[in-house]
Amino acid sequence: MNTSPNKTEITTALSEKGLGQQPWWVEQWMELINSYRFKKRLERAWTYAREGNVTSIRFEGRRVHARVQGTEEDPYKVKLWLDVLNDEDWSYVLEALTQKARWSAQLLAGIMPADIERAFAASGRRLFPFKLQEVRSECNCPDKANPCKHISAIYFLMGDRFSEDPFVLFQLRGRTRTKLLEDLAKQRLEVLTAIAKKSNQENNLDKDSKTKNDTPAQAHPAVINPSLWWKYEGSLNADLVVITPAMEGDTGLHSAGELPLAEEPRFPKARQKFLSHLHEQGSKLAQHAMLQAMTTGD
Amino acid sequence: MSLLHATWLPAIRTPTSSGRAALLVWADTWRVAAPAGPRDTPAMHPFTLAPEELRIWLNKKNLLPHEIIDATACLTLPSRTVKSKGKAKASKNESGITEEIIESNWTGLPLQAGEPIPKQCEWWPWQVQGLAIEPAAATTWLSKLPLSGNNPDLGEELRWWSHLQRWALSIIARGRWLPQVELSKGEGYPHRARWVPLLNREDDRRRLEELAARLPLVATCALPWREPTGKRSNRTTRLRPEAMRAANPVASCRPRSGRLRVANLLEALVDAQLRKGFETNTDQLDPLLTTWQKALGSETGIITLLDDEVERLATASNHWREGVAGSVAAARACLELFTPTKDADLWELRFVLQAEADPTLKVPAATVWAAGTQTLQLGEIRVEHPGEVLLEGLGRALTVFEPIERGLDNATPNSMHLTPAEAFVLVRTAARQLRDIGVGVELPVSLSGGLASRLGLAIKAELSKSSRGFTLGENLDWSWELMIGGVTLTLHELEKLANKRSPLIHHKGAWIELRPNDLKNAELFCSTNPKLSLDDALRLTATEGDTIMKLPVHQFDSGPRLQGVLEQYHQQKAPDPLAAPEGFSGQLRPYQERGLGWLAFLHRFDQGACLADDMGLGKTIQLLAFLQHLKTEKELKRPILLIAPTSVLTNWKREAQAFTPELKVYEHYGPKRPSSSSDLKQSLKQIDLVLTSYGLMQRDSALLETIDWQGVVIDEAQAIKNPSAKQSKATREIAKPGKNNRFRIALTGTPVENRVSELWALMDFLNPRVLGEEDFFHQRYRLPIERYGDMSSLKDLKARVSPFLLRRLKTDKTIISDLPEKVELSEWVGLSKEQQSLYRKTVEDTLDAIARAPRGQRHGKVLGLLTRLKQICNHPALALKEKHVLEGFLTRSAKLQRLEEILEEVIEAGDRALLFTQFAEWGHLLKTYLQQKWHFEVPFLYGSTTKTERQAMVDRFQEDPRGPQIFLLSLKAGGIGLNLTRASHVFHIDRWWNPAVENQATDRAYRIGQENRVLVHKFITSGSVEEKIDQMIREKSRLAEDIIGSGEDWLGSLGVSELRELVTLEETN
Repeated sequence: MNTSPNKTEITTALSEKGLGQQPWWVEQWMELINSYRFKKRLERAWTYAREGNVTSIRFEGRRVHARVQGTEEDPYKVKLWLDVLNDEDWSYVLEALTQKARWSAQLLAGIMPADIERAFAASGRRLFPFKLQEVRSECNCPDKANPCKHISAIYFLMGDRFSEDPFVLFQLRGRTRTKLLEDLAKQRLEVLTAIAKKSNQENNLDKDSKTKNDTPAQAHPAVINPSLWWKYEGSLNADLVVITPAMEGDTGLHSAGELPLAEEPRFPKARQKFLSHLHEQGSKLAQHAMLQAMTTGD
Repeated sequence: MSLLHATWLPAIRTPTSSGRAALLVWADTWRVAAPAGPRDTPAMHPFTLAPEELRIWLNKKNLLPHEIIDATACLTLPSRTVKSKGKAKASKNESGITEEIIESNWTGLPLQAGEPIPKQCEWWPWQVQGLAIEPAAATTWLSKLPLSGNNPDLGEELRWWSHLQRWALSIIARGRWLPQVELSKGEGYPHRARWVPLLNREDDRRRLEELAARLPLVATCALPWREPTGKRSNRTTRLRPEAMRAANPVASCRPRSGRLRVANLLEALVDAQLRKGFETNTDQLDPLLTTWQKALGSETGIITLLDDEVERLATASNHWREGVAGSVAAARACLELFTPTKDADLWELRFVLQAEADPTLKVPAATVWAAGTQTLQLGEIRVEHPGEVLLEGLGRALTVFEPIERGLDNATPNSMHLTPAEAFVLVRTAARQLRDIGVGVELPVSLSGGLASRLGLAIKAELSKSSRGFTLGENLDWSWELMIGGVTLTLHELEKLANKRSPLIHHKGAWIELRPNDLKNAELFCSTNPKLSLDDALRLTATEGDTIMKLPVHQFDSGPRLQGVLEQYHQQKAPDPLAAPEGFSGQLRPYQERGLGWLAFLHRFDQGACLADDMGLGKTIQLLAFLQHLKTEKELKRPILLIAPTSVLTNWKREAQAFTPELKVYEHYGPKRPSSSSDLKQSLKQIDLVLTSYGLMQRDSALLETIDWQGVVIDEAQAIKNPSAKQSKATREIAKPGKNNRFRIALTGTPVENRVSELWALMDFLNPRVLGEEDFFHQRYRLPIERYGDMSSLKDLKARVSPFLLRRLKTDKTIISDLPEKVELSEWVGLSKEQQSLYRKTVEDTLDAIARAPRGQRHGKVLGLLTRLKQICNHPALALKEKHVLEGFLTRSAKLQRLEEILEEVIEAGDRALLFTQFAEWGHLLKTYLQQKWHFEVPFLYGSTTKTERQAMVDRFQEDPRGPQIFLLSLKAGGIGLNLTRASHVFHIDRWWNPAVENQATDRAYRIGQENRVLVHKFITSGSVEEKIDQMIREKSRLAEDIIGSGEDWLGSLGVSELRELVTLEETN
C-alpha cells in the first residue's frame, strides 16, 4: 500500500500501434487505469493478464463477470459494475441526445460519438467513469485490497473489449443499444410533435399521415399477373459480362480494417494472422472465381 | 417436352437432414391429370417428372448436377380451379351423409410456365418432386448454365439464377465480402460462421434492385417440407397424419418484394463458394479465432463454443461489418446539392430519403421526420422506420464527408450550406465515396459527371444546296459550337475560364467543372477544322455518346432536308410509300407500298437491303414490284441475278408471270443451260431477271461472274449464314461490283437481327464495310452477345445493321389492319428427277391400260392413276410403298424440301402448324422423318387412332405450354369436328379435288377462339395433275360447284383425251 509510485507508466502494451490508433473510449479507459497509484500491483496484474490467467470475461446485463486463475485450484470470480443511471437520469440523457440529430445518426451507424458525454452532462451524470473508484468491483480472493491484482488484470483487458462493442458502456449504465435506440425514436417523435404543434401544421401533417396509413399494402405484381411466376426478361448486366478483380487494396477486408476483437494475450499475433490469412485466401478465391467466370457457357 | 425449373429450399430441419439449404431442380411435363386438392397436406403436383425420369432427362441434356439427392418440396404455384366430380360422389357413397364439407375442398391443377392464365387464378401449395443440390454443387451447376438466349429446355428463371451466380462470382472476384458469425435463430438452430457479401457499392445495390424487381417467384416459392418418413434408431417410422399435418400445413407463401430474399440468396451462393474453396491455417491463432476459422471452412459452418463466446464473436464481427455496409433497406439517405442562388456564395445541401429501387422517388427530410414511427410510402415502395434509415445513412455519411456534421446540429435537420471549397470536395471526391458506403448523392446536372457534364460539341448540319443526299461520302454544310453542361461557349471563353484555375466555374447560369484535357482537346479540334460527311452524320445520330476527335456530340441539329434523309435511314419514320408501278398487275397492300418505298430508298444510296418480313406478308411481290419499278423508270439496263433454293424457283417463275408479265425471266437451270460465256450472254439478251439455285450459282460461279449484273438478289438468305461455306463465299463474291455498280437485296423470313452469328455473312453480302472483318466481328459482337448476352453490344450491333433491315411481323399493329384474317398461299413446287421419271413412266404405262379397259373398270383405274400421281408428287417412297425413311429421303422429293423450309420458319417463330394429308402411309413416313429431323414428337391423328388417343392429342396440342408445334392429321379423320385453334398455319400437303373439304380442314384452326391470323399453305406441284386440277377448281365457269361438290367421282368419267391432257407432265422449263 505504501509502495512508492513507480515512474514507468504501463501503457496498453496489447496494442502494438500505440494509443493514438485506439478509439477514444479505449484511450480514456487506459488513462483511467494509469491513474491508479499502486503501480507494483498494476505490473503484477499486467503479467497476469498477459499470461492468460483471465479465463473468461462476460458482459451479463449490467455487470461484468470474469474468472481469473489465481494460486488456488479454482479460478477466482470477479464482478465489475458501474453505477446504473435511473430512469429519470436516462430521460434527461435521452432528451439531450435528441437535440442533435448527429448523435442519433452516429449511434445508429454504430459509431460512438466523441462528445457523447455532453449529452450525459444534462443529467449531471457520466457515461464513462471519471475516477477508478467509480468502477465497483468484487473478487472472491483472500486479498483484502480492492482492486486486487485479479480485478486489475480485468481492467487491462476491458479496454480492448470495449472496442468490440462500444455500446457495452451503455449496457453497463442500464440501457442496451436496442433499448436505447428504441427510446431515442420515441423521444424524437415527441420532439417532432412538439415542433409540429408550435408551427400549427399539426392538422396538415395528421391528415397526411392518416391517408398514407390507410392505403393498403400494394399487391405484388405477380398477384395481378401470375405469369410473372416464371417470367424473366432481364439480360446480363453489362458490368457482369467481364468479371474483373478488385483494385489494389479495394476489397471488403481492406475497407473493414482491423477486426475489433480483443486480443488473447497469449496469442499476440492471432488477430494479424487471422486477417492476413483471409487476405491471402481471398485473392486465391478471387482468381478461382474469375477462371470459373471465363469458362461459363462453354 | 419438359421444362426445367430451379427453386431455392430454405434451411429446414428434418429428421434426416442437417437442415441445410439446397437448390431444388425439378421439371414439369404435360400429361392428362385429374384435378387434385390438398387434404392433410398439399396435393402432389401432377405434372412433374419423377426423380428417376428427371435424372435420365438431365443426363441426356448434359445437365445432370453432381451431389444430388431425391427430394420433395412444397411449392406455392398459381393454380386453376377445376371441379372434381368424381371425388364428391365417392365421399357421398362412403357414408350417406357427407361428413367432409365438399365446398371447402378446393380442387384444381397447378399452372405450368407458358400456359395461358385463366381469369380466376388461385395460389395453392403443391408437393413437387425433384433433385436437391447442395449449395456448393449448385453454384458449380449454375455457373454452367447459359447466360443468355432462350433455351427450350430451361425455364426462364434458370437464366435469372445464372445471372445471380454470375454476380456472386463477381462479388468473390472483387473481394466484396466479410466473414461473420451468425447467432442461432432459436432452439435447434446452431450458431454458424458465414461469408457475407457487402452490398454497399452503388453498382451492387443497383444490381440487387434489378434482380429483385425481376425475380421470377418460382425461384423462391418453397415452404418447409418434412418427409413423412423419418429414421429413428435404425427404424423407419412414418409420421402419423396429425404430425404430418402439423409439419406440413396447407399454406402458401405470399409473393413479396424480393430485395431481402434476393440478398439472402446471393449470400447463400457466395457463402457456399467461399466455404468450399477456403483452406484453414490455424497457426498461432487463439482458440476463439481457430474455431471461427475452422467453421468458415467447414461444410456446415456450425460453431460450437460457449454461448457468450459466440455472442462476443457475433458482436465483434457485426461491428466490423457495420463500418463498411449497413443492412438491406428499401430506402437510403441521400444528399442533394444545389448551386448557389444568384449573387450568393454558398451551396445548399438538402437531406432526403431516396428509394433504392427507383432513385427518382425522393422525399425531403421534413416529411420523414413528420412520419415519426409510421411507415412512409415512396411511390409504391413502403419504407419501415424511415427516420432511422435516414439518420443511419447520415451517420455513415459523416465518416467520409465531415462538413455535414454542422448540418446535424439540431433535432430535425433538413438542409445546410456548404462553402464553395466544400462543394468542390463533394463533387470531386466525396460523392463517389458516399455512394460507395450506400449514401445517395444527387449533383446538379452540369456537374453530375455524366456525359452532359463533359466538354463536347453542338452541331448544326444540312445537305449542301446541290446535293440530294444520295451518296454517303459527300460532305455536309455544317457549323459547331463547344458545349458543356448544357451551355455553349467559344474557344476564347474556354481559355479564359481555364485560366481562372478554379475547379467549379459559373458560366452562363450553369456551374461546370473543367477537366485537365478539355482545353487541349478543344484547341486541337479547332485547329484541325474537320469536315463532316453524311456518313458521319448517320453514325453520330445512330448512338448516343459518339465522338468526333474525342469530343462527344451533345446536340445535333439537322436541317429539314438532312433530317428527312436521317429519319428514313434510322427508320424513325416509315419510308415514303411507293405505289405499285405501271405494268405491275396486282395490288399492293399499304405496308407493301412502304416496303417498296424502302427498297427504292436504299437503292438510291447504293446500300444493300434485307427485307425480312414475316412469312406470308409478300416479300416476293414487293421485290417483283421493285424490279418493275426499275423497269418502268427505265433504270433496268442490265440483267439481275436472283439466287434461291431450288425448291422455290418454280414459285418465283409463277409469281413473276402473274405479277410482272413485262419482266423477261430466264431460268439458268437444268442440264441444257449454257456452259460458255458467249452462250450465256446470247441467252441473256433482252433478259431482265435470271433465276438460279444456290447450288448452280456455286458450280457455275466462274461463268456467272462474266456477266455485268445490275443487281444480285438472294431469297431465303439464311442459306448464306455460314461465312466459310463455299455457297456463302461464292454468293458474297458475286455481289461485289463489276464494271458497274451492282445492287444487293436479300430476302428472308427469319428474324435475322436476333441471330448474331448469321448476321456477319449477310451484312458482308449487303454492305461489306458495316460490320468489319469477320475476326473483329467475332470478338466485338458475337462473343459478348452470345456467351454473356451483353445488351450494350447488342444494342450497338442493332443500331449498325438496322438501317439495312426491314422486318414486319404479322402481329404488328400497322400490318394487322392491312391483312385479312386468313391468308391463302400457293406454294409452287417442282419435281425431283426421280419423281419426274416415275411420274412419266406411270402416266405412259397406265393411260394405255385405261384406254383398253372395259368401261366398268375404267372408272376405278382412272382414280387409281390419279391417286398414284398425287403420291408421286408427295414422295416416290409413298408411291413405291416403302416402309422406312432411308438416307437421302429429303432430296427425293421437291415438295418435302419446300415443306421442310417453311416448317423451319414456323418452328423458329414459335408458331404451331397443322399438316393435312390424304394418305395415312405418307403421314407415317412424314412423322418418322420430321421426328428424326427435329428431335421432338410429332403426333399423327388418323383413322385408326382411338378415341382416347385422339382426345389426348388434341388436349395436348391445345393446352400443353410446350406441346408439339407440328400436328399431322389425315384429311378424313382430322378434317372435321376438332378444335385446334392454337395452330396459326395450315398445310395442305396434297390436294383434294374438293375445296369444301379443304376449307373444312382449314377451319380446325380458323374458327372462333383463333387469336392470330391463319396462313394456309397449299402445295401445288407445277406441271403436274395437281396444278391442272387447281386451275380447274379456280375456273368455276368450267366446273360448277355441284359437280366437284360430290367428291372425286367426276374425274372418273373423263374421256381419255381429257384425261391425257390432265395427267401429262408438262415441261416447266
